Amino acid sequence: MSAAEIKARLIEDAAVIYPGLYLNQLRGESIESQCQEFLASGVRRIVINFEETELINSIGISILLSVIDSVNHAQGALMLSNLNASNRELFEMLGLMSHVEMVDTEEDALLKLRGQIVQSST
Amino acid sequence: MTNADATRILSRIRDEEFIDREVEVARVCALAQTGRESQRGLPSNALLLGAPRVGKSEIMRKSFDRLFNMGGEVIPIYYSLRRSCLDPDRFAWDYFAQFLAQFVAFKRNDLALISMADESLSVIARAAPPEDYPWTRSMVDSFTIASGSKDPSRLVRLALSGSAATCAQASLTPLLLIDNWHMVAGSDLHTEFLRALVEHGGSDPANAAYVLSSLRRAITELIPADEGLFDRLEMIHVEQMKEEHLETLVRRRAESLGVEISDSTIELMSRQLNCDVFYTRAILDAAASRGSSLKTFIEFERLYTAEVLRGRIGVYLNAVLHDVAPEPRAGRAVLEALALVVSAGSRVPIEAVTERIAEYTSDGEALLARMHSRELLEISYGFANASSDPVLSDYVRARYRREITGAPRPVAGEELLGEKLKHSYRLMMSRYNRAIQSQLVELLSRFDFQNLPASLFDLITFDKRYRGISRVQVRKALDDEVDHVRLPQIVLVHDIGGGEQPGVSWRLFAATGFEGGIYSDANEVLWLVALINSKEPVDVETLGRIDQPLEAAERARRGKSGMGQPGVRWYISKEGFSAIAYEGLSRLKSYCSTYAQLDLIQDYLIRLALGVEARPASEFELVIPIEEEAELIAARTAEQIARAANFDQEAINQIKTALIEACINAAEHSDSPDRKIHQRFAIDDDKLIITVSNKGKKFGRVNGQSTPSVSAQPAKGARGRGLQIIRALMDEVEFERTDDGARLVMTKYLKRPGSQ
Repeated sequence: MSAAEIKARLIEDAAVIYPGLYLNQLRGESIESQCQEFLASGVRRIVINFEETELINSIGISILLSVIDSVNHAQGALMLSNLNASNRELFEMLGLMSHVEMVDTEEDALLKLRGQIVQSST
Repeated sequence: MTNADATRILSRIRDEEFIDREVEVARVCALAQTGRESQRGLPSNALLLGAPRVGKSEIMRKSFDRLFNMGGEVIPIYYSLRRSCLDPDRFAWDYFAQFLAQFVAFKRNDLALISMADESLSVIARAAPPEDYPWTRSMVDSFTIASGSKDPSRLVRLALSGSAATCAQASLTPLLLIDNWHMVAGSDLHTEFLRALVEHGGSDPANAAYVLSSLRRAITELIPADEGLFDRLEMIHVEQMKEEHLETLVRRRAESLGVEISDSTIELMSRQLNCDVFYTRAILDAAASRGSSLKTFIEFERLYTAEVLRGRIGVYLNAVLHDVAPEPRAGRAVLEALALVVSAGSRVPIEAVTERIAEYTSDGEALLARMHSRELLEISYGFANASSDPVLSDYVRARYRREITGAPRPVAGEELLGEKLKHSYRLMMSRYNRAIQSQLVELLSRFDFQNLPASLFDLITFDKRYRGISRVQVRKALDDEVDHVRLPQIVLVHDIGGGEQPGVSWRLFAATGFEGGIYSDANEVLWLVALINSKEPVDVETLGRIDQPLEAAERARRGKSGMGQPGVRWYISKEGFSAIAYEGLSRLKSYCSTYAQLDLIQDYLIRLALGVEARPASEFELVIPIEEEAELIAARTAEQIARAANFDQEAINQIKTALIEACINAAEHSDSPDRKIHQRFAIDDDKLIITVSNKGKKFGRVNGQSTPSVSAQPAKGARGRGLQIIRALMDEVEFERTDDGARLVMTKYLKRPGSQ
């Protein structure tokens, strides 16, 4: 199975990943490897922007939980942003809220993450 | 128990399970009333005729119960003839005692008194109401005196007609319900019954009305060709229960017995047991007593095999055969004869059968006549055919293997089970084929000079024009087509046979009608239609085989009617035709369609008949391959359908997510060779029902275990959330196991404004 191409970009020292229309196993695994690359290169602040994400399946969610684990393990910070109401409801239902913070916009996420890192470094 | 059940007296079946027989009961009950009220002497005797186990006795008993409970001026008397009471003297005493007991019970409105029939006549007479005691006592005395005269015929006459006539003393009209009347054949009782029918049954209110139940084939030797007799005889034919009624019966009975049963098993039961109520009840009762469910074919076939070999069905059929031939050697002759006709698969000359059984009986023809009468086989114009009872055939094969060829019982049993399992899938497939055939016949009957879009009769044009387009869009586009096929008006449709070869079966029809709205020889037209169920596109060789009988039918038709113009050929194949086969059909200007086009034609004709432009579709089907992201196609489809059904965006998203999980589940658990997931979307008034089916071993939770819960810290790869998601997002979720896989049925209700 070939990996799906996903968009990602670096804004200052934070990474933003865009899962695309459908977060399934294929895209989940791409997000996972993209995160590993970011963490390996020293990026510790990661945002996953779900603005374009219309559908998420349970395998995608499982992989997302694994990504959250990896980031926490690397002493990094991860936030989810731009979730539509249905996806947010799905995450809440499956208890993801207790593992990761969700904010409305990518900008909010970047702002919050910058604050968290500043706080933790002082 | 219902109130109606509280009044059950002789009947054995609860009212809820007494289905499809109300008309017959009403006709029986009306009979005595007709006689009383008639001014013109309408028939007031009846013959209740039917095949074995069709339910004649229960109709008689229900009729008794109704009339007994009703009270009034018609008194029902029920008597069931038994082999042990065919001796005239024994019959007279037994019949008279039962008549008297039922009379007393009716007059006192105390059904417990019916059981007094076992007491002496004087004891029964003493239980009569005071106003009836004198004449009942006198009648008993007369009977007792007559019994000393050593004239059994006189005693039978007294019991039959004398007892009925005495009801006039009580101003009552007796309705004499004589069950198993065919048993009188060949006995002295036969003559006496005929005499009673002529002399005492009739339209005179003082006389009795008789209802005689009998096996249908026995009746020709029981009733002489006497116009006077037939004038007063109404025929009530009891037909085999219809499939839909039997299915209702099975559901009710299974529910009352607590037997779990699936839709597909019910269908299989009705087919395999030939809609026989006795066999069906036997299987359901056996399931209940063993605590078995009937959710799968194998559960049913295991029970069936056990029942046929050593259960109620087997014992019953042993008794029937013993009844026909009580002597062991004659019994062997019966089994040999049955084995011969069952294994032959077609009619066997009588001489061949009598030769086979000559070793065991000296009068083979008489034995065969008895077997014919009991419908164990059918004798017709010098040939013997197997009975249409498939259970009897199974019983005969298994018993013959066990008793004649000496196969040990478990081996015989396993052989039958194996046979039935293989057969069950073919049986269900033939049912499917028949459904399509009925659809085609009905469709042809709707042909009435309409104009239909031409692409519906040309699969390549249709494919080019509509490939990849949804059914809804196709239906709309069909309305815009310019080219049309002008249909004839079809008057007659004949089934002209069928055939099969590995992977393909076909059925052929000849439809005769007229073109152009003119009923003349020149306008008479013949449509020859081949309905082909094939796993692959039909090739040229197969088409050649199908064409042979069609050509023969066309030649025969032309020779008969002198029809000038050639017949129209229409080939309908489930999976279409090979390119070469299609070219050949095009050259001959034959029509060719697929089953999908057939559906659309039917749909179009209905729309034309209803006079509506567009009928909203309420059901859609989608098949997706098991491959990466195919579930998105399903989600998109669901979105369109849900939107059309006025679901809001939130509900639509929930439906899509649930459907995606269902598809993933189906793909994970499927081991189907076609690697496909089947989905059906049905829109009802206030809900959308989505069924996702796979052909695999299981579908998520099917073995009764609970849905896996999401742990606080779920690990990657831990599945089970899918089912949790589905349950959370849909309003109702049900798993159903099927014989070839499983299905998940999810329902989402439409929220009305203001609803929660």
